[in-house]
Amino acid sequence: MSTELWVEKYRPKTLDEIIDQEEIVSRLKEFVRTKSMPHLLFAGPPGTGKTTAALALAHDLYGENWRENTLELNASDERGIDVIRKRIKEYARTIPLGEVPFKLVILDEADNMTSDAQQALRRTMELYSRTTRFILIANYMSKIIEPIQSRCAIFRFQPLPKEAVKARLRWIAEQEGVEIDDEALEAIWEESQGDMRRAINILQSAAAIRKKVDVDTVYEALGKVRPREVKEMLELAVKGDILGAREKLRALMYSYGLSGIDVIKLLHREVLSSRSPLRLNGLPLADLLVLIGDANYKIVEGADDEIQLMAIISKIALLSSEAKSSGAARK
Amino acid sequence: MIPWTEKYRPKSLSELVGNEDAKKKFIAWLNAFLKGKAHKKAALLYGPPGSGKTSLVHAVASQFGWELIELNASDFRSREAIERRVYGAATMGSLYGKRKIILIDEVDGINAREDAGAIPAILKLIEKTRYPVVLTANDPWDPKLKPLRDACEVIEFKKLKKREVMKVLSEICRREGIECDRSILSAIADNAKGDLRAAINDLQTLAMGKKRINLADLNILGSRAEQASMFDIVRTVLTARKPEQALAVTRLPSLDYEMLLLWLSENIPYQYAGSYRAIADAYEALSWADIMLARMKRKQIWQLLPYALELMTAGVASARDKPPYRFVRYSFPQRLRMLARTKSSREKFREVASMVARSLHISVSTLRTEVVPFLRVIYENDPDMAKRIYRSLGLSKKEFEILIGA
Repeated sequence: MSTELWVEKYRPKTLDEIIDQEEIVSRLKEFVRTKSMPHLLFAGPPGTGKTTAALALAHDLYGENWRENTLELNASDERGIDVIRKRIKEYARTIPLGEVPFKLVILDEADNMTSDAQQALRRTMELYSRTTRFILIANYMSKIIEPIQSRCAIFRFQPLPKEAVKARLRWIAEQEGVEIDDEALEAIWEESQGDMRRAINILQSAAAIRKKVDVDTVYEALGKVRPREVKEMLELAVKGDILGAREKLRALMYSYGLSGIDVIKLLHREVLSSRSPLRLNGLPLADLLVLIGDANYKIVEGADDEIQLMAIISKIALLSSEAKSSGAARK
Repeated sequence: MIPWTEKYRPKSLSELVGNEDAKKKFIAWLNAFLKGKAHKKAALLYGPPGSGKTSLVHAVASQFGWELIELNASDFRSREAIERRVYGAATMGSLYGKRKIILIDEVDGINAREDAGAIPAILKLIEKTRYPVVLTANDPWDPKLKPLRDACEVIEFKKLKKREVMKVLSEICRREGIECDRSILSAIADNAKGDLRAAINDLQTLAMGKKRINLADLNILGSRAEQASMFDIVRTVLTARKPEQALAVTRLPSLDYEMLLLWLSENIPYQYAGSYRAIADAYEALSWADIMLARMKRKQIWQLLPYALELMTAGVASARDKPPYRFVRYSFPQRLRMLARTKSSREKFREVASMVARSLHISVSTLRTEVVPFLRVIYENDPDMAKRIYRSLGLSKKEFEILIGA
């Protein structure tokens, strides 16, 4: 049964249904026609159709029983390279069904693997290359080690162009009996840029608020989407209430169950928004980005998310108290 | 230099403070033994360190002029050693008709492998002895001690009370001619937590080369007290006036540095409240300590440990603009409590989320940050749409609510 979450409901099932990324799609179709392909590496920003293209390729290669010939893994969710290797080993042991002489392994978010894990992955790819083809999916190609890059045909996915995103949104709205005006579509585009997943999610949550979606509905939905705690945490940090900010942080981490990296991602989005409490307080965006980028690095390097995030919170409190006092001095 | 714990060991029962019940029971048993009416020929004195078990035996021996035959943990206590050193003395009369008492200290420290056959040897000693045999232990419930427990009159010692400890400390001060405020004795007694030996050792350390102990001297006490409690370690680090003072805690042999990291993180905002600079500096140092520990563990580079320890102590203590000292009641790391409390709900979330993530072809992290927030808006604004979504995902209402944290 297809899901009622629109991103999934309207995800193209076959290569023919993919309207953008024409060049990529035409080459993928060639693989289907010849029933042969190298390992593939799909790289590009979120929501540009990488996973969709991989699944559609699997569908076109194997027809309706594509699932039996496709192992889907997400590097972020599997517990380490050993688990990934074990699952690939078990899966690659059996012979592919049907006339395609290989089975498919789709490894999503491959750039979240450490380079050591990627080295191990490279050996695994070689080991089973007779019977399997890998599709590695990554946001950043530079985070994939060169030996793997050199074994793959690389496909770069570009952010979807504005008109394509708007056309798709308009079409989905039509299917769902939702009215949406152009201004609202523009607002969704502004917020999502070329990220189709985000664009469709915004559309659906706006449609949940009102069946007639205008620009205010879009902003209303967006306002509700951001966890209040992130914004509140920042507001408290800016005010200098470090303990209050810590309480919000803990709610995010231990009640919502966000990881440190999840919180960093939300913080990152928050500071980029021009309405963020940080920006309003006159803190230079560059300083904030350095803070958050540095914390991101440290969380990846370090062990303790809460300590690293408290380091940011306390620095924001310091910066904004300095900004306040220098502002007062100027007056 | 004689340790004061030896110098001031009680010479008589009346000098021995505390544990009156245990004393009475012990004397009653001894009297019964001397009259040949005791049911058991040995006594097992057990209780926390520094509660007076060994001192009681010493006090009896010196008060009544008995010969004390002692075998303690530092002695080699194999079957042969027990037979050679104690067995003869216990079974033969003394040359001058002097009475004896046999003390085998810290029997719970007997090592099954190194002190092979020790316990059967002690049992044999108890069976054959002509003199009272006394065993001591901190933890008498060790299964290997069961046969000994059965052969002994078991007498419990409790931790000494604070006023009992203070009484001994002030008596020692008087006899040593040392001036020491009651508040200091009180702090020492608090730190010692009912362990008189520890308290006397601390007092001696503080008094070293002095005739007067000041409140400031208590800082050097850090090193002992910290072993007892994380509160004191945290206090030493966060109230150090110089980084070197904080560094002292890294020399504690049993420092649980990962726990210390959490404790410091919890309490920095309280101790340094009022100075954003100090809080930010302290967290910066702590975050680097955390990274050093992570690198050390990941890459097995154990040389990094000193840097991590120094960063979390001296590094934190070198924060700029620290507010003036004030007393702060430290808090246990709340997140450990929260993590324990939310464990089952996080597990349930994880279960639901990984199922949903798989059917949406995304990771749990992407689900959590990119999809769940939208689902929440949908749930709050259009319950029907939400219902269609969770049904199509194969979820119950309850599972959906777990997913979005409703």
